[in-house]
Amino acid sequence: MRGVAIIGCAMTKFGRSDLSLMELMGESSLGALRDADLGDRPVDAVYVANMGAARLNKQTAIASALVDRLNLFPAMAEAVENGPASGASAFKNGFQAVASEMADIVLVTGGERMREVNNLEVTDFVASLSHPEAEYIYGVTLPALAGMFARLYMDRYGVTAEHLAMVAIKNQENALKNPYAHIQQEITMEGILHAPEAVVNNPLIADPLRLYDCCPVSDGAASLVLCPLEMAQQMGKQIVKVTGLGQATDTHAVHERPDPTQLTAVRLAAQKAFAMAGLTPKEIDLAELHDAFTILEIAQSEEAGFFKKGEGHLALEKGITSLSGELPINPSGGLKARGHPVGATGVAQLVELVWQLRGEAGKRQVEGAKNAFACNFGGFGNNVVATVLKRED
Amino acid sequence: MEEKVCGVRCKACGKESYPAHAICPGCGGDDFEQFEIAGEGKILTYTDVYALPLDYVQRYLRLAIVELDSGVRATGQLLDDDPKIGKRVKTIIGIVRQSGDRKIHGLQFVPV
Amino acid sequence: MGNGNELEALLRPPATEMPQYPPKVITLASGEQMVVRQIDREEVPILLEAIAPLIWVERDFYDIVAARFFAELLAFKRYRVRDEYCLVGLIDGVLAGMVNGRMVNKDIGMSYHTLTIRRGLRVGSHLFAAKMEYYLEYLKQKEVLIVAESPIGFRRWMIEYPLQKKYEVQHELGGVPSWVLTRETYFAAKPRLVSGRRPVPPELLKKAEAIILPEEETVKAQVLGQKEVGS
Repeated sequence: MRGVAIIGCAMTKFGRSDLSLMELMGESSLGALRDADLGDRPVDAVYVANMGAARLNKQTAIASALVDRLNLFPAMAEAVENGPASGASAFKNGFQAVASEMADIVLVTGGERMREVNNLEVTDFVASLSHPEAEYIYGVTLPALAGMFARLYMDRYGVTAEHLAMVAIKNQENALKNPYAHIQQEITMEGILHAPEAVVNNPLIADPLRLYDCCPVSDGAASLVLCPLEMAQQMGKQIVKVTGLGQATDTHAVHERPDPTQLTAVRLAAQKAFAMAGLTPKEIDLAELHDAFTILEIAQSEEAGFFKKGEGHLALEKGITSLSGELPINPSGGLKARGHPVGATGVAQLVELVWQLRGEAGKRQVEGAKNAFACNFGGFGNNVVATVLKRED
Repeated sequence: MEEKVCGVRCKACGKESYPAHAICPGCGGDDFEQFEIAGEGKILTYTDVYALPLDYVQRYLRLAIVELDSGVRATGQLLDDDPKIGKRVKTIIGIVRQSGDRKIHGLQFVPV
Repeated sequence: MGNGNELEALLRPPATEMPQYPPKVITLASGEQMVVRQIDREEVPILLEAIAPLIWVERDFYDIVAARFFAELLAFKRYRVRDEYCLVGLIDGVLAGMVNGRMVNKDIGMSYHTLTIRRGLRVGSHLFAAKMEYYLEYLKQKEVLIVAESPIGFRRWMIEYPLQKKYEVQHELGGVPSWVLTRETYFAAKPRLVSGRRPVPPELLKKAEAIILPEEETVKAQVLGQKEVGS
């Protein structure tokens, strides 16, 4: 397998958009292609990450539609659907195409336009990833699965409501430095937890998870351009290399997992990614984790190998995972504050890593970032893709 | 109308699974018989869900993952005013969702 | 006919003595302090200025809510509606949201509108609850008739309080079948839905004396979710 580099990236502002799904994906794709500055070189393949186009936007075959929109004929093209991990899965497909020499230049675009429908329909749409007979019919939603997970986690490891609030506060603060982030609002411990008014400010969504423990519903798109490492070097680009990539699956019904506080797929995917990169978690300078719910940032930080199981909240307390700490987690604001257009997220995580590694992350720049990690969490942890990127000087 | 919820028991190794899989997680076999998910067990975890999809008009829905004494686990609706991790419950069948005119039956857990 | 004053009196509704809503202050998720207080007729023009641009924003039913609220405030100012009130939420004196309604009689309240300008901080939830607090605790009414223009927004209140159907009564907002909040339901829901501290500290109350308008572009941008200041 030959080496693969990322030479272009872009994203739209996440939030509430009047643009259509195709317009959003067109915007981020053009941004990434311009950033890559390919000259005459053709795009050989396009991978599109998306979960809801058929149901929410009533459109199918969107990879072909994107090729048409961007006038990229006769490029190969496919849409990849892996629930909330669609983004990293599409990226993995793009990586494989370049590494296997099947394609030289690949465009990966993730997009979602969720606010096409109302919140109740979005909740139901996301809930469709749960097990149809064993979970969905009971009214199980993704927050419900996260709520049950959180309760067990808090009971077993001593994570408290304050710890969850710390994740939300940290990520919303980081997002204030990210012009692309959906949520641009500072929040305080007083306002969301301690004041008597907090019960209205921060109502329960799936006990013990509250409003500020859950990511928003967002529209948006993000894109990457990949090419062989050698080509990137010839083009004189700053080299951001894909050094590690891993994926693993776990049971569909959450109740079938031997230990429901373990995120086995995260652990296995991360192990594979680190093994491929020849690195340990200690050498990672920053990480974008999948905090669709604040508890997941804590749990994933442990399963990915950054902290011992049950100690992620202690690292959070000490400020280790803040922007100025030893291991900044979610410098972009994470899903919580950057937003979560489902198909776009995995790609947006990687866009952030690329910006950080290139030194282009502005006010939220992690100084001297060299190795970076991302974890894209599909289903409720039954399909996880982990990635390691490296800046090569 | 399904008035009971079933899992599958592998005819080769006896492992009970719920939900059903095509291949036995225990031995890789593919020959099963059905068994009813019923009986007593304990609450592993639970939650009160407030942000509900369209089929529900109640303020919140209480859900739980229960481990039956047989070792099989199930997700269902918890009808208990004072839930706790580890509390003993038993299964009943009730209407768990109404989609238009369709009444869907499933597992509910009540205190023992 | 008689003099101008007699004519005017023909067209003015009788006025009931309505106790003032005692101001309160609420800590929002951002840590900011929002003062909730009642307005008097002199303050109507500045509120009209804030609402006017929203009459053309179709999204989330802002256009019809703004248009109706505009008319209701004008009618309040010009003494052409019976026993109407309006409460505003102010953050550092800047208008964050407003609610209004009127008394039908001593027992029944008619809730009109809730309009949020500063989105993403549950300002609407706080102000709607303040409105119910006014009806049931200060005006001492028995029940409040409620409908809304936005179905998804209304569904939340319908389920949260919860509200009961009173379909035999046509609501003043278009004759839509009414829902009702009773005293019993209000007091049961109060601990989880109504909040705020009284009295308002003097320095905060002073800042809330004059209503400051957010810039029109900010209002529109926030309402349209472009300059999203929250989820």
